[in-house]
Amino acid sequence: MARYVLNRLVVSALVLLGISAVVFFMLHLVSDSPGRIVLGQRVSPEAVAAFDHQHGFDRPVVVQYLDYLERLLHGDLGRSYKLNENVSTLIAQNAGRSAMLSLAGLVVALAVAVPLGILQAVRRNGLIDRTATAVSYMLYATPSFLLGLALIAVFSQQLELFPAEASQSHSPWAVLTDPRAMALPVITLAAGSVAVFAQYQRSSALDQLGQDYIRVARAKGLPERLVLTRHLLRNACMPLITLVGTLVPTLLAGNVIVESLFNYPGLGLLFLNSLQREDYPLLLAYTLMGGLLTVVGNLLADVLVAAADRRIEVRR
Amino acid sequence: MDSRKNLTVHGLSVEIRRGDRLVRPVADVTFELGRGETLGIVGETGSGKSMTGLAVMGMLPAGGRVTGGSIELGGRDLLTADPRRYRGREIAMVFQDSLTSLNPTKRIVDQVAEPVRLHRGASRRAARDRAREMLARVGVRRDGYPHQLSGGQRQRVMIAMALVCEPEVVIADEPTTALDVTVQAEILDLLDELRAQRGLSMILITHDMGVIAQRADRVAVMYAGRLAESAPTAEIFERTRHRYTRALLSSIPTLAQDRGEELFSIPGSPPDLARPEPGCPFAPRCDAASDRCRAELPPFTGTFACWHPVDGPVASADRGRFQRGETGETLLRVVDLVREHPTGRRTVKAVSGISFEVAAGETFGLVGESGCGKSSLGRLLVGLDRPDRGEIVFAGERVTRPRRAVQMMFQDSGAALDPRMRIGRILREPLAIHDVGDRRERVRRLLDDVGLPESVLDRYPYELSGGQRQRVGLARALALDPRVLVADEPVSALDVSIRSQVLNLMRRVQAERGLSAVVISHDLAVVRYLADRVGVMYLGKLVETGTTEEVFGAPAHPYTAGLLAAVPEGGRTGTPVRGEPPSPVDPPSGCRFRTRCALATDKCAQVEPPMTSLTGGHQVACHYPLQEGRDG
Repeated sequence: MARYVLNRLVVSALVLLGISAVVFFMLHLVSDSPGRIVLGQRVSPEAVAAFDHQHGFDRPVVVQYLDYLERLLHGDLGRSYKLNENVSTLIAQNAGRSAMLSLAGLVVALAVAVPLGILQAVRRNGLIDRTATAVSYMLYATPSFLLGLALIAVFSQQLELFPAEASQSHSPWAVLTDPRAMALPVITLAAGSVAVFAQYQRSSALDQLGQDYIRVARAKGLPERLVLTRHLLRNACMPLITLVGTLVPTLLAGNVIVESLFNYPGLGLLFLNSLQREDYPLLLAYTLMGGLLTVVGNLLADVLVAAADRRIEVRR
Repeated sequence: MDSRKNLTVHGLSVEIRRGDRLVRPVADVTFELGRGETLGIVGETGSGKSMTGLAVMGMLPAGGRVTGGSIELGGRDLLTADPRRYRGREIAMVFQDSLTSLNPTKRIVDQVAEPVRLHRGASRRAARDRAREMLARVGVRRDGYPHQLSGGQRQRVMIAMALVCEPEVVIADEPTTALDVTVQAEILDLLDELRAQRGLSMILITHDMGVIAQRADRVAVMYAGRLAESAPTAEIFERTRHRYTRALLSSIPTLAQDRGEELFSIPGSPPDLARPEPGCPFAPRCDAASDRCRAELPPFTGTFACWHPVDGPVASADRGRFQRGETGETLLRVVDLVREHPTGRRTVKAVSGISFEVAAGETFGLVGESGCGKSSLGRLLVGLDRPDRGEIVFAGERVTRPRRAVQMMFQDSGAALDPRMRIGRILREPLAIHDVGDRRERVRRLLDDVGLPESVLDRYPYELSGGQRQRVGLARALALDPRVLVADEPVSALDVSIRSQVLNLMRRVQAERGLSAVVISHDLAVVRYLADRVGVMYLGKLVETGTTEEVFGAPAHPYTAGLLAAVPEGGRTGTPVRGEPPSPVDPPSGCRFRTRCALATDKCAQVEPPMTSLTGGHQVACHYPLQEGRDG
């Protein structure tokens, strides 16, 4: 197992290297002269050239990339053009809050979707199943900004149950310390995933319910509840683990919308602002993080599945 | 044996509703099971035998309910009791082994311990101890996950799981159907032993008359959801009363019968239980049926339900005889064939140096246990796979890719026919690929040859019965007028009454066309019936070849003799081979069979026995053959 993980880590590092190269060269294509962005439109071309020369932006792109890589290895993600702050510092300030929001969304989504999917499978084609499927598709088809706005309109403005703005606390634990303020962002973030997870869980549970070991468990005299929790649950969750792993980076993307909608200071908001300001070092770092999360999410899923299902032979 | 009745089922009727479809899989079934007794319930697919077992367990599928009759255990009514109170505790069930019968993500010990914790409220540790004890009792000494066990071991785990709470009644539903004869004998012995030791009553549900004959005290024969006949085992075989039982018994190929004679076969197929007809359900297929049979349902007399019971011996119906076809020159030659499948770090040695020849018009049979490489060999023969070493020569030419003249008939035609193609298209496809003209006319002739009506052309595979699908599979293989037919387990998926139809058909078609064939099967009786010459395979090697009469009549290899002895058919002598073959990843040195051979010596471990001739074409690869050769 350790060897398997090690091998996967090496591959992951190579994938990340690839991602960094692609992103770097693409950004270079979009803007090969940061001086113009940093100094603004009114500065003379000579001043821009001087700035670019001073910061090494006039060197060949490959040299710039290698230089970037070297700094990256030392944990230096560069400096924001506009915020006059190290990118790594900015990310460190915001990552915790975003991570907690994503995690809360994921936990809520799974807590609803896993039992719901199993219930749907057990009562296949019954009223609950059909209703849940219909609602799932509706949720899946609704863009999250629309859902968020609808939630604000109903729960915040009409019923005045929850505030329309997320907690402004700088602590990453806002989700726990200020649950009322975080309810709507978390629900908005979770809703889309619930739809996908529940349908996935339903078909996987149906698959497992047809297996002989379920019949054997019933023949032992187990009450149906125990048949489901002891025998079905774990086997039916396997495909979901893989799915969640691949969805980790999309949670990050979901944050962009939710964070801006609820004005929650996290990475998503930071990304959105830097996009408007053409703050390329930040964009580059954010994209790299997306790549990192994709790779780590997949790796984590594979390791978890291998640990949960002993039939999977871990090979080189 | 205690004569007190333990389980009493009276007039049991079951109904299953699915949407608008109403099926009555069990109708008016009555039987009694004494303490320590084994009742065999025998029947074909859809006869209601498994559903009867599930009804007793209170485990009918969704939409199913008991509509009449009673089930009593020791005088207690089970139909009104909560099934969870007796399920697994007083009545337990052993299912047919399949890879999915055990939870793949739970340790075996915990799976066996589960009923103990549930029914006896034992602590986790005490339950585990009890489970280990039970597992040791059934001969499983390793813990781990289900996928680490062989089929035979998994079946033992299933038995341990059923018996761990010491139930009074155990229902074994096809407990050995997925297993080789060698392992089957062991599992049945184990069940018998445990039954005798614990005074268990057992219901043995199976389609295999041989198993019933050896293991059951009483037999209930079911047909179309009803009891056809029920009597002590010896009576069923010696004084058969019901016409269906009679026909069923006659249509089983045995190791003793005359190979030149056609198998008896029951025409038609079982009735559709969703559309019950008046009268005896067997009447449409019965040669003694009268108007009364078609109009009035015969009552169950206590031993049989038939208006015209068999009385005394029936004159064997005039069965056709096969002309032994002429065999010509060698058509297919296999030389030192080797095929290894790498899986990760290890290599499965599926075929390890096999040579044989098949003459024109001859049928060569390949027998062996599962995993011996016979199916891998079949795929090589038709060019679906390429050998690592060695060669296949057909009519003087090397076979390197699939060719018209060598065609394959698959085991499960249900899976081998494209579900979205109509039969007509399936049969025309090979003709179209090879650009043969006049396709419609050819397809019509093919259907005629395999005894299918033209109406099947517009149907989809799922609309046909298993027997019909197998006929389509044969027709497809014959479409291109091949000279060699490779049939891999051609009848294993079929019920007894359908099986004999297809076997007869295969022999007839083959004789008519002068076709050569390679028949691959684990079923010794099938191979004996079809083949002129036989090769016995063990772990990727041929250990004995010869004419069917030589190999079956005077087996020279201890493995062949042991296989024959393991077949559950009355009156056979010799020591059956036991256990399961070692892994083909790492086969034993010297003679590969030595680890299971009673005669093995040091020489067998060091020197691989070469194939040597005994008499004529009879060859054996053994240092200590059971038959004397002419020259030594």
